[in-house]
Amino acid sequence: MTAGWVGKILDVDLNTGCINHRDTMVYAEKSIGGRAMAAWIAWEEMPAGIDAYDPGNIIIITTGPLTGTLAPTSGRTIMSSLSPRVYPKPWYTHSTLGGWFGPALKYAGFDAIIVRGKSETPVYLDIQDGKATLVDATTLWGMDAKQTQLALKAKLANQAQILTIGPAGENLVRFATVQHSEDNAAGHSGFGAVWGSKKLKAIAVRGTGGIPIANPNGLLQEVLNQGVFKVTPCNGVLSSQKAQKRRPICSQACTFNCFVGEYAHTVEEKVIPIHCIGGTWASENGMKKTKYTGGSVDVPAGQNFGFCEEATLHEECNNLGLDLWFRLVMQPWLIGCIQRGVREIKGYPIAPTDIFWFDDFMHQLAYRKELGNIFADDLLRAMDELETELPEDLIKLGRELEFCFGFPAHREGRFWDEEPLPFWVISAMMYASESRDPTIGSHQSSLLLADFLLADREITRHQFRLLSDKVWGYPDALEPTFENKAPVAIWSQNQHMLIDSLPLCDFAFPQLVHPMEDQEEWKMTEDISGDLDIDLRLLTAVTGVRKSREELTQAVEQAFTLERMLLARAGRSRNLEEGLAPHFKLPCRADGTLVDETGFSRLLDEYYSARGWDLKLGWPQEDRLNALGLAEVIPELRHLRSKITP
Amino acid sequence: MRGRNHKILVNPQLCRDCQTCVLACSLYHENVCSLSLARLQIIKDMEIYEFNILICRHCDQPECVLACPCNAIQVNKQGVILIMAEDCNQCGLCALNCPYEAIFYCEVSGKYNKCDLCANRLGGPLCVELCPVKAITLNIETASARRD
Repeated sequence: MTAGWVGKILDVDLNTGCINHRDTMVYAEKSIGGRAMAAWIAWEEMPAGIDAYDPGNIIIITTGPLTGTLAPTSGRTIMSSLSPRVYPKPWYTHSTLGGWFGPALKYAGFDAIIVRGKSETPVYLDIQDGKATLVDATTLWGMDAKQTQLALKAKLANQAQILTIGPAGENLVRFATVQHSEDNAAGHSGFGAVWGSKKLKAIAVRGTGGIPIANPNGLLQEVLNQGVFKVTPCNGVLSSQKAQKRRPICSQACTFNCFVGEYAHTVEEKVIPIHCIGGTWASENGMKKTKYTGGSVDVPAGQNFGFCEEATLHEECNNLGLDLWFRLVMQPWLIGCIQRGVREIKGYPIAPTDIFWFDDFMHQLAYRKELGNIFADDLLRAMDELETELPEDLIKLGRELEFCFGFPAHREGRFWDEEPLPFWVISAMMYASESRDPTIGSHQSSLLLADFLLADREITRHQFRLLSDKVWGYPDALEPTFENKAPVAIWSQNQHMLIDSLPLCDFAFPQLVHPMEDQEEWKMTEDISGDLDIDLRLLTAVTGVRKSREELTQAVEQAFTLERMLLARAGRSRNLEEGLAPHFKLPCRADGTLVDETGFSRLLDEYYSARGWDLKLGWPQEDRLNALGLAEVIPELRHLRSKITP
Repeated sequence: MRGRNHKILVNPQLCRDCQTCVLACSLYHENVCSLSLARLQIIKDMEIYEFNILICRHCDQPECVLACPCNAIQVNKQGVILIMAEDCNQCGLCALNCPYEAIFYCEVSGKYNKCDLCANRLGGPLCVELCPVKAITLNIETASARRD
């Protein structure tokens, strides 16, 4: 067994109650770990043509070789399954979460968990030092995420690390989360509902073991060389705030001063950590940023209810097990209803700027009651249900807000973050080729660079030319044009796959840009490029296996291609991806740039070609599969093609 | 108490549960990353979202030294309190009497462990060096300060 791993995968069948152990290295040796390892397992074991709630759907929880080690930000866990959120029909995707669960799983002797089947009654999985047991969870069913964790900690051990669903998962809300700790969640892909469908309430793990490290001194030295409390490379450089000692972290082994975390006080004066979208709720101006006017679309500003009130709502949302992102699309949409004179839906009054109504609405969602029952299937499906009852522009607005197969718009240059050209083009290519909102895991891979361009175009374009030449081999990779952006998109996706597989946090890695303390330092720096080999050095120190960059790239491209094949298996092809074109016909909120259907089609052509995919379906071509060492998937690909082109 | 001058200071309110100190400790002492094999622990109370750092402070009047029936706990010239493993009978009285709950029994090795300030490491204790928020610090008293 290679260092960095503990050797076993837990295979749990909820139909029979059987629990088996499998050898991690079967998958670890042909992948890197984490998301890449899950793609291999899913390709081999996920049945085709089933629904997310089918007992045959499997939940794959993976760690990577760095999980649980001292490698900075490595305490992450990856969850993969068929997603009930995806529209129009479920397909395989992933969510990642920070925290302390993945490390604890490895200390307990397991690198991954596969859960299959469905239990008749609620159960939780109790894992302790090499042993796993399914336990009746009838008394936990109905508890919120925090209550469940506290109950299990009281019963098992204070140091137990727990994944759990809240009421939203139990009630099959399509954007239900799997929660962990206060504010960590596998949030976007609705896996909480998959757990709920299997009557799996929680997984509790505690272990006293350790993770073998091939070169302890090398790992220590690498971490010491990185330094501590560095500002994460892009995030925060442009902030006027200086480093603060009191910022919460969201992942074990994170030593960064990351600007996406903050502490808040609830109305009951409890201190809670909030990160990323939770911070947006609580920020006075955060919710206002949903406002967008362009083309024929008008997205209203969301409304903030006050700092402590938002902290309280945020905590409730986590405890109910709802994806925090729902607020960013549903509240503006509901405000849009009010602005158009629609004050009730199906007889239920709406008041989205009233905190008491909104609090009640969150509970209705989680328990699928009244109005919540309609929106628990997500905004996009609610639009289908309400199509004949509401004005056309409201239905169109709802569909635009979740334009990407049911995922909230994000870093696509229109509705949320400002991604000027060329970043929204890079983002568009990623949206069109991935299973979910692809931008959440690729902040440092390129998208956060957009903030520099917005801060000072002249300085940035010069810096970008140097950076581009160094990283992508041509100086105009980040020029504000539509051409030749596929290499950056593919590089970003590869990096995303890599950091989801090692794993590392995408707010800290890859260090495309070196950490800079403030805006002044950035302005004085000509060469902003960072150290892109930290990941390799960490991997080598932990595992003792010396891989080249080319070998790692081959492994991540293999895994990405397997994910693409899983999408093909679910019927996803160019035809569906062309359906994203109207969204990018809306003007970019930063610079007004847009692309029409023909232009979008050209972007797909460029991207598919660069990937080695055919232009008709956007599926991998056989020579590309052979080059990637994936000849074994060719027979199924031929079968899939034959069903489309007999 | 002659020559005693190294003290660990902790500020649990600064701690943010990254466990870097714990992982570095186990890596340095045991060559593995583990929360159980370290010489310090971070304890979280999820109910109230507060943390506690359990680590030896290298007390001036160490209860563990007084409690040990085998004289297996000794204080070196720098004031660092150390367990002499070869003299220890694993009775656990040191751990029971430690006011900071900072002596840990390791089931794997069957031994009691405690902070030794990363003995022999030129850079001093790793937990101090790597804590991103300075929740653990090392105070080295000068001789004159001690006379005062």
